[in-house]
Amino acid sequence: MTIRILLVDDHPIVRQGLKTLLEGRSGWEVVGEASDGVEAVEKAKNLNPDVMVLDVTMPRMNGLEACRVLRRQAPQLEILFVTQHDSPQMMREAMDAGARGYVVKSNAARDLLAAVEAVSQHRVFTALNGRDAAGLR
Amino acid sequence: MKLRILLADDHEIVRRGLRALLEKREGWEVCGEASDGREAVEKALQLKPDVVIVDIGMPNLNGLDTTRQLLQHDPHFKVIVLTITDSDQVIREALDAGARGFVLKSDAARDLVSAVEALQNKRMFFTPRVNDLVLAGFLEKGHAVSRNEAPKLPTLTAREREITQLLAEGNSSKEVACLLNLSTKTVETHRSNIMRKLSFHSIRDLVVYAIKNNLIQIEIPPQPPKTPTGPTAA
Repeated sequence: MTIRILLVDDHPIVRQGLKTLLEGRSGWEVVGEASDGVEAVEKAKNLNPDVMVLDVTMPRMNGLEACRVLRRQAPQLEILFVTQHDSPQMMREAMDAGARGYVVKSNAARDLLAAVEAVSQHRVFTALNGRDAAGLR
Repeated sequence: MKLRILLADDHEIVRRGLRALLEKREGWEVCGEASDGREAVEKALQLKPDVVIVDIGMPNLNGLDTTRQLLQHDPHFKVIVLTITDSDQVIREALDAGARGFVLKSDAARDLVSAVEALQNKRMFFTPRVNDLVLAGFLEKGHAVSRNEAPKLPTLTAREREITQLLAEGNSSKEVACLLNLSTKTVETHRSNIMRKLSFHSIRDLVVYAIKNNLIQIEIPPQPPKTPTGPTAA
């Protein structure tokens, strides 16, 4: 199955790590990268990806704000947060903002592929460190 | 002969990114990876890499104390510190620990290759802010760097810093003892000494101290917007 992915994180080295992981899957393509929420909103409009992998803490516009904007602008886009914040409160906020998935950065290498697969099929995927939080919504 | 590099960062995704970046260079090889400072020290002693890249904010043993321990074992280790902040205090501590390179994580894609190259050629690599700080200190005969410092707290020993970090990360004395192969009683004694030296009365004080002194690093969540938007179905 082909999945077109937009990567959004303010650290290029994290984007590079995510990219090598995602592009290991046949048929998955990273169609673009953005380093903050403003750029993410612009690129989502131009590139029309299936899935956006989105960080929370970023300059100019954080991931939560970007998610809220994108929910209105691109309702078909599925958003997966990959973040440092290993907290149920932050996860709840992200899901309330309209995300379909939430993965903690320290577990990204373990959870990311399953999470992208799930959200691309419009299923919820959430996992905190050591706690499976699926079924939150 | 290949230049052998050891990577230490608690995030596998960051290590993947670093590895992809470094292995693009012909003649460079990532010979090992570690996910915390303790593992980094073990692997460095075992693998004898030419360059060790350590993240400052690692669990169990932070990057600064990892650097100190590595150089204590062998002063020939060449260490590059990766950090999310280049505050004066972090810069001073990295220099003091003996790092020969200092790279901001946000600029790693741009600067890390240059930093490794510099160390390979027996030079050092620092960000412009480090250079400014060192120069200011030199021009003002060493006073500029410390002029605005708060009064210094008593110095902890390397072992006390290690234990402070582990306690601040939420480990009990028993868990710390287990991690460091010490008896619980020894850890309790260190703990009492730390609290007495710093005049602290609670673990909360210790956590604040650990954050302020870069023994642990935290990411602050973004502030909620002033006019909240209602939830939207995905």
